[in-house]
Amino acid sequence: MSYIIKRTGSRVITFIVVISLIFFLARSTGTDPFERYLSEDPRIPLAQIQRLRARFGLDKPLHMQYLDFIKNTLQGEFGYSLYYKRPVFDKVMECLPWTLFLLSISIILSTIISFVVGVYFAWKRGTKTDILGTNFCMFIRSTPHFWLGMILLLVFAYYYPIFPLFGARTPGIHYANTFEYIKDILYHATLPLATLLLRQVGMYILYMRNSTVEVLGEDYMVTAKAKGVPAWSLMFHHAARNAMLPMVTVTAMRFGFMVNGAILTETVFSYPGTGRLIYTAITNDDFFLLQGAFFIVSITVLAANLIADMICGWLDPRIKI
Amino acid sequence: MTEQKLVVSRTRMRFNQLISGAREFASVYMRSKPGLLGLAILFFFIFTAVFAPFISPYNPYTRVDRPLRPPSNKYILGTNDIGQDIFSELIYGTRVSLTIGFLAALCTVVIGTLVGVVSGFLGGSVDEVLMRFTDVIMILPNIPLLILLMAIFGRQSYFIMILAISITGWTGTARMVRSSTLSIKERAYVEASKAIGAGEGHIILKHILPNVSPLIMATMIYQVAGAMMSEAGLSFLGLGDPSTKSWGMVLHYAQTSGGWYANQGYPAWWWIVPPGLLIALTVASLVLIGQTMEEIINPRLRRR
Repeated sequence: MSYIIKRTGSRVITFIVVISLIFFLARSTGTDPFERYLSEDPRIPLAQIQRLRARFGLDKPLHMQYLDFIKNTLQGEFGYSLYYKRPVFDKVMECLPWTLFLLSISIILSTIISFVVGVYFAWKRGTKTDILGTNFCMFIRSTPHFWLGMILLLVFAYYYPIFPLFGARTPGIHYANTFEYIKDILYHATLPLATLLLRQVGMYILYMRNSTVEVLGEDYMVTAKAKGVPAWSLMFHHAARNAMLPMVTVTAMRFGFMVNGAILTETVFSYPGTGRLIYTAITNDDFFLLQGAFFIVSITVLAANLIADMICGWLDPRIKI
Repeated sequence: MTEQKLVVSRTRMRFNQLISGAREFASVYMRSKPGLLGLAILFFFIFTAVFAPFISPYNPYTRVDRPLRPPSNKYILGTNDIGQDIFSELIYGTRVSLTIGFLAALCTVVIGTLVGVVSGFLGGSVDEVLMRFTDVIMILPNIPLLILLMAIFGRQSYFIMILAISITGWTGTARMVRSSTLSIKERAYVEASKAIGAGEGHIILKHILPNVSPLIMATMIYQVAGAMMSEAGLSFLGLGDPSTKSWGMVLHYAQTSGGWYANQGYPAWWWIVPPGLLIALTVASLVLIGQTMEEIINPRLRRR
C-alpha cells in the first residue's frame, strides 16, 4: 500500500513541477496570453483590453496568477480554445476516446503478437528465419511512425483501394444497428492500427527474443530439458514466462512513446483523436489547446503507467522496494 | 624544473594510455560485421552532407521543371509540387537532419551526464529526488511536451528545436550514467584516492568521468538516432524551419500540400518513399553502431 502511495505521490509532485515550469517558461517570454493574441489588433480599445485582463485575472501579481493556474489545472480547467471557441477540457475529452481506442487495441495485440513471435525467434535463434525476422524488425523500428502510415496509405488506400483514406467513420451515414457502427469504425481504424501495431511489434519482438535468449542459458532450463519436458512446453512454460517480466516493465515505461506514435499516426490518417487535435492546435497557433492537450494526455499516461506499475508489482513482488 | 617535466611526462602517459585504449577499442570494433556496416552507412551520409553542393545535380531551392514529374534520367527522384528536384532536396536534407541529430544528442548527453553524475555521486536525498523526477519525465510523452516547448519559445527555428529535444531527452542518459557512477564510486581506487585526501571534484573529473565516458559515447549514438526521429516528427507536424529542408520537412510538404495524392489520381510515390527510407537507414545504422559499442563496453551483452 505504501508502495502505491509513494508512486502516486512522486507522479503528482513531478507533474506539478512540470506544469509550473511550463507556466513560468511561458510567462518568461515576456508576454501574457492577451498580448500574444490581441496586442497587434489596433481595433480593440485599450480600456477593453484592461477590462478583459481584469476579468481573466491577468492584472494580479505573477505569484497570484500562478496559484490560480495551479488551482484551475488541478480542477480540470485548462482554459479556452481560441480556435474552437470552446473550453479546452471539453474539446480534448471529445477526442481522447479515439486515441485511447487506438492505443489500447494496439497495445494488447502487439503484446500478444510479439510474445509469440519473439519466443519463436528465440527458439529458432541463429537460423535464417531468426536472422531475417530480426533484421526486418530492426528496419521497422527505425522508420518514423508517420512515414509507415503514409506508405500503408499509399499501398492500401491508393494503389489497392481497400481501406478508406481518412477519418474514423463514414460521414453522413445512418447506421442500421450497432453492429454496422462497429464494423464501420473498425474498417476506418484498420490502417492507423496497422501502423501502430507494426512499429510496436517491430520493437517488442526484439525485446522478447533477447530476453528469452537470456533465460535459455539459466540452470533451470537445463534441468527442465534434462527431465524430458517437451520442447513447446519448455519454450512457453519455462522460458517465456520468465522472459515476460522485463517485457511487462518495458511496456509500462513505453506508454508515452506510444502516445507519440499515436499523435503522428492520427495526423497522417486525419483520425479525430488527440493527436489530430494537437496538430490543429499547432497550425492555428492555439496555445491553450496545446497546453491542455498535453496536460490531459500526460495525466492519462501517468495513470496508465501507475496501473501497469501495480501489475508489475503483483507479477513480481521483488520490484516492491 | 623537474616537477614540470614530471607533469609533462604524466600528461603524455595519460595521452598514450588514451590512444592505446582507443586503438584496442577500434580493433575489437572492426571485428563486428554489423558495427562496420552501420559505420559505413553513417560515413556515407556524413560524406553526402559535407559535399552536398557538389553532389546534388540541381539547386533544391529553385524551380527546375514542371511540378510532380515522375523519376527519369534527368530527375532521379522526380520533382515536387512546385517543380523542385527531390533528389537534390534530399541531399541537402542530409545536412540539416544529421546536424540537428548530432547537436541535439550532444546537448542531451551533457545534461544527462550532469544529472547522472550528481545524482549517483552525492546519493542520499538529492539522488532520491532527482531520480523520482527523472522517472516521471521519462514516462511523459515527449512529442506533446516538445511541441509545447517549441510553441512557448517561438516555433520554427532549429535552434529552439535542438534546445527542446535536449530538455526533454536527457532522462535515459541520466539513469545510465547514475547507475554506472554508483558502481565506480565503490571501487577500490576511488577509495584509495579518497584516503589520500582527494576532493570530490578530483574524483569526479579523474575517476568517474573517464570511466563512464565509453558508456556515454554509446548512449550518445542512440541519442542521435532518437533526436533525428524527433526532428523528423516535429518537422512533419510543421514545426521545422520552413526556409531549410530536412527529410522530415520534405515529408511535411508532401503531406500538407496534398500534392502527393492530387497528381490526377496518381500519388507521387517518389516524393514519399525516399525520405522515410533515408531516415530509417540512418537510424538503423546508428543503432547498429550503438549496439556494437555497448557489446564492447559490456561484454555480458554479447549473446550466443
